[in-house]
Amino acid sequence: MFRIALKGVLARKGRLILTSIAVVLGTAFLSGTSVFTATLNRTFDNLFSDVFKNVNAYVRSTEVVDTDFGFQERQRIETSLVDVVAEVPGVDAAAANLQAFARIVGKDGKPLGNEGNGPPTFGSSVVDSKADIWQMSQGRFPEGMNEVALDEASAEAGKFVLGDTVKVITAVGSQEFTLVGIANYGDVRSPGGATFALWDVDTASSLLAKPGLIDAVIVVGDGTMTDEELTAQIQAALPTGKNLETITGAQITKETQDDIKTALSFFGILLTIFAFIGLGVGSFVIYNVFSISAAQRQRENALLRAIGASRRQVTLSMLMEALAVGLVGSVLGLLGGIGLSAGLTALLKAIGVDLPSSGLVVGTNTIVQTIIIGLIVTVVSALLPAFRAGRVPPLAAMRDTALDTAGKLRVRLVLGGTPLLGGVALIGAVIGGARTELLGLAILFIFIGALTLGPLVARPVALTLGRPIASLRGVTGRMARQNAARNPKRTSRTAAPVLIGVALVTAVTALAASIQAEIRGVFGEQFTGDFTISSEAQGFGGLSPSLALDVAKIDGVKQATGIGQSVVEVEGKGRFITVINPKTVEGIFDIGLLDDAKVTSLSKSGVLVSEKTAERDNLTNGSTIPAKLSDGTQVDLVVEGVYANDQLAGRYTVSSELFEGTTVSRFDFGVYILKTEGTDSAALRSDLQKLVDSYGSGTLLSKDEYIDKQAAQVNQLLGLIYGLLFLSIIIAIVGIIITLLLSVYERQREIGLLRAVGMTRGQVRSTVRWESVITSLIGAVTGILLGFVLGYVVILSLRDQGITKFELPISSAVTILIVAFVVGVLAAAYPARRATKVDVLAALNTM
Amino acid sequence: MSPLDNQTSSTTLPPPPPPGSNAAAAVVGASKVYGSGDSAVYALNDVSVEFRKGEFTAIMGPSGSGKSTLMHCIAGLDELTSGDAYVDGVNLAKLNDKDLTVLRRTKIGFIFQAFNLVPTLTAEENIKLPLLLGNEDGDAEWIARIIETVHLRDRLTHRPSELSGGQQQRVAVARALASRPSIIFADEPTGNLDSTTGTEILTFMRRAVTDLGQTIVMVTHDPVAAAYADRILFLADGKVVDEMREPTAAKVLDHLKSLGN
Ligand SMILES: Nc1ncnc2c1ncn2[C@@H]1O[C@H](COP(=O)(O)OP(=O)(O)O)[C@@H](O)[C@H]1O
Ligand SMILES: [Mg+2]
Repeated sequence: MFRIALKGVLARKGRLILTSIAVVLGTAFLSGTSVFTATLNRTFDNLFSDVFKNVNAYVRSTEVVDTDFGFQERQRIETSLVDVVAEVPGVDAAAANLQAFARIVGKDGKPLGNEGNGPPTFGSSVVDSKADIWQMSQGRFPEGMNEVALDEASAEAGKFVLGDTVKVITAVGSQEFTLVGIANYGDVRSPGGATFALWDVDTASSLLAKPGLIDAVIVVGDGTMTDEELTAQIQAALPTGKNLETITGAQITKETQDDIKTALSFFGILLTIFAFIGLGVGSFVIYNVFSISAAQRQRENALLRAIGASRRQVTLSMLMEALAVGLVGSVLGLLGGIGLSAGLTALLKAIGVDLPSSGLVVGTNTIVQTIIIGLIVTVVSALLPAFRAGRVPPLAAMRDTALDTAGKLRVRLVLGGTPLLGGVALIGAVIGGARTELLGLAILFIFIGALTLGPLVARPVALTLGRPIASLRGVTGRMARQNAARNPKRTSRTAAPVLIGVALVTAVTALAASIQAEIRGVFGEQFTGDFTISSEAQGFGGLSPSLALDVAKIDGVKQATGIGQSVVEVEGKGRFITVINPKTVEGIFDIGLLDDAKVTSLSKSGVLVSEKTAERDNLTNGSTIPAKLSDGTQVDLVVEGVYANDQLAGRYTVSSELFEGTTVSRFDFGVYILKTEGTDSAALRSDLQKLVDSYGSGTLLSKDEYIDKQAAQVNQLLGLIYGLLFLSIIIAIVGIIITLLLSVYERQREIGLLRAVGMTRGQVRSTVRWESVITSLIGAVTGILLGFVLGYVVILSLRDQGITKFELPISSAVTILIVAFVVGVLAAAYPARRATKVDVLAALNTM
Repeated sequence: MSPLDNQTSSTTLPPPPPPGSNAAAAVVGASKVYGSGDSAVYALNDVSVEFRKGEFTAIMGPSGSGKSTLMHCIAGLDELTSGDAYVDGVNLAKLNDKDLTVLRRTKIGFIFQAFNLVPTLTAEENIKLPLLLGNEDGDAEWIARIIETVHLRDRLTHRPSELSGGQQQRVAVARALASRPSIIFADEPTGNLDSTTGTEILTFMRRAVTDLGQTIVMVTHDPVAAAYADRILFLADGKVVDEMREPTAAKVLDHLKSLGN
């Protein structure tokens, strides 16, 4: 029997290839993701082991604040420690290390690098020492308040040469420096595409931190002792009671590498989710292909049964074929994935993430994982068709070709209807107050229900959607419509990838549209000013706090206030905290304080909390919250007010005064401006723009533009979704192509007959094309409906987050329908050509 | 004609003239060769034959004698290796695929042994298929008359799977007649039917010729079926070996026996 199966596989290479393509698609994304992530990790591993290769020890503070999003702020240490460490026996050289936000302004006045998305921009200290990672490739080390050096990649990008004047934006505003040196970071021109402005240690301290403070001390030993011994020696020499620690070069290397991996893991997880969605959708295609091929082989299998093969043998031979297909497909998918990952790496390079290439990393686990998952998915997808093939009665050998019906109507109705109704009931329960988590289950139920009911609705939906085509395209349209409806199971399985992709995309688009509507509402209500200056650098760097003060001085500005963000540790956990200036915020930005609390009376150690935080932590006016600022300063924050809406201000809001006298570097993410009544907006705008230009950072926007832009941020989410859409489009196209090819093969006789009685090649093509379009539209229409439900459910689950509006993304739905139409046309191209090539005589002779 | 031409052409005869004006279809000097050299098979070997308008011709001959090949070549479904095929005075060799398709749709009707119908279309759509494909309305009165003749009025909305074998074959006959073609080709149209139903179909075909003035060429193995025709052509080894006019089943049987000897 095994030999029969093998022969069967080899005899039908065409089918083997078609089925394999489905597997290839699913596994290629998986292996591509795996290779890409491994390559990226290896690249950064190499980079940092290279960078720290001469470092034997590393001295830093033990005080660190971690936040929700993987941000980490470590307390700074005193510069004088460099000299202390340098004196320790066994130390050859010690150098300060200090790194923070800074942005180089290009000669055209535009900052280098891509603000917001793209590699970060840094300023750093540099010193002529064996212990410093930076080394000059041109010129000399900068000295004093007026000199700067740049990393080689930035110098080249900005076309700077030694002696040029370079403007750099830092926490304390923007300043001009003379370029005296161009530097390399270890062996690379700039690490990971980030930009660097380099100053001597004292200048860096005053620009990036506070005078006299640095991040850490980098130590190079003289080789007389091991790193561990050296580390112990240094630790012993450090002043006590200052929360200092010394770690080895190996430890700091490992830590940095791990940090990068954590930062990248989000990316990897995202890609993996995509890959698994691809695999899931692809498995529908595999299932479909096996079902069709089982149906087409019904007669053959029946003959085998008639001459004495057992059910098991027929089923096993099908599974054996699946195994072969899975193996071939997975291996090809693995190769395809390697190509895909090479493409991704090239893409990264194209958007400016220039990484030292270390070659693609194809790990054994990638290979094993891809092939095993590919095999499992294929065999599992083939299980049902294989068992069905085994159940073929020997009598079917005498019967006509494959007939597929939607199976037992009642059974399917129950199997599909139950989860569907269950899902709807769960949604109802959640609306009625049940736990939000149940919505996940509801979504799953609804999807299972929809896919099970697919074959039942495929026929009526195909006939309905095909009606306009039938009436417009004459008999070819009529035949296309009937063809799409004649195998409801096949049609619904073919449309399933389209359905899943479209449903996901529609849901997320609905979510995005709703969030946007919400944002518009909230910003429109709370921001009562006329202009804003905003920074794109979310969470890292931003506008200098002096900008708001300078804006206020401009003629025609009635009031201006800066709002920023910082991190504090509350109960051992880092929290983002909104920083306002209570004296100027009133009248421009209403954070919505409840009762009669006044924002203007917010004191230096006062805090305003959101209503939700107050409820959760049982806070009332006068409660104290022990907190630690990111430089280690301990404060007891006193609750002085509660606000309703936490979408803008988050959990906690404090006064900028809180940071006075600390070493926390602070930025504003926005400056909000109210003009004096009667001032000409255009003139004021040009004055403001001049100021912004002189700072070299920030974007000036009118209120309306600002609100548009806030709403547009959600579009980044959409970008992601379009990736998903693209993925499902490709899989759907391949699925439709395969199904159509098999259908054309199956209907050769019919096509031959039609050609004989006078159907032209063009008409044959048109029939296949319209069938394809109808199938694709079935997926799109049902997917959009399902997506609306899904989107509604997601928004329902976010009602606690304050999202209450539900917007139907009608225009996106229209776009999706158009895309589905095009997908149908594209997918039909090859099968339609094949259909016109059907040999009429050969087809007639088989009659 | 120069002596040189005489040497290079395979036959020294001048090209045969096109068929007469009362021929619905004809082949002249038709040969169809499969393979080449020693293994060459002559499916048709220099056949010249005319099918006159309003005549019912049966083609008989042992399996492999070239009956289907002859039909396919006249019907524009296959190409002759040499010689010419004419339908309605048009030389098929001069037509491209598109023109041939249109010719089949407008000038030729087909009745096959089985699987004549498109399963997704209703009986009425199947009948009108050549017209629908050509985006034509056709002659409504004519079509009504055909449907009446083959007794299908109450089956028009049914699909092929809902029709019996005999009914399906009647639909096929009606389709072949619908566009009032110049000639109808039937390849063993009763081969799959029991004798009563077969008789019914043959009666319809006979009436199409006698009452409606159609031209039919039918391949058959059955002497009883062949007896419905006006004349019978006997094929063997790719050649027309005999012809019989005004056949009866008994005459045909006798003749077949004599051929067998
Ligand atoms: N495609 C083909 N390739 C090779 N030989 C063929 C082909 N089609 C038909 N023949 C041969 O041509 C001869 C005539 O075939 P056919 O016209 O089908 O005979 P009939 O219909 O009388 O049974 C047979 O010997 C057959 O084997
Ligand atoms: Mg034959």
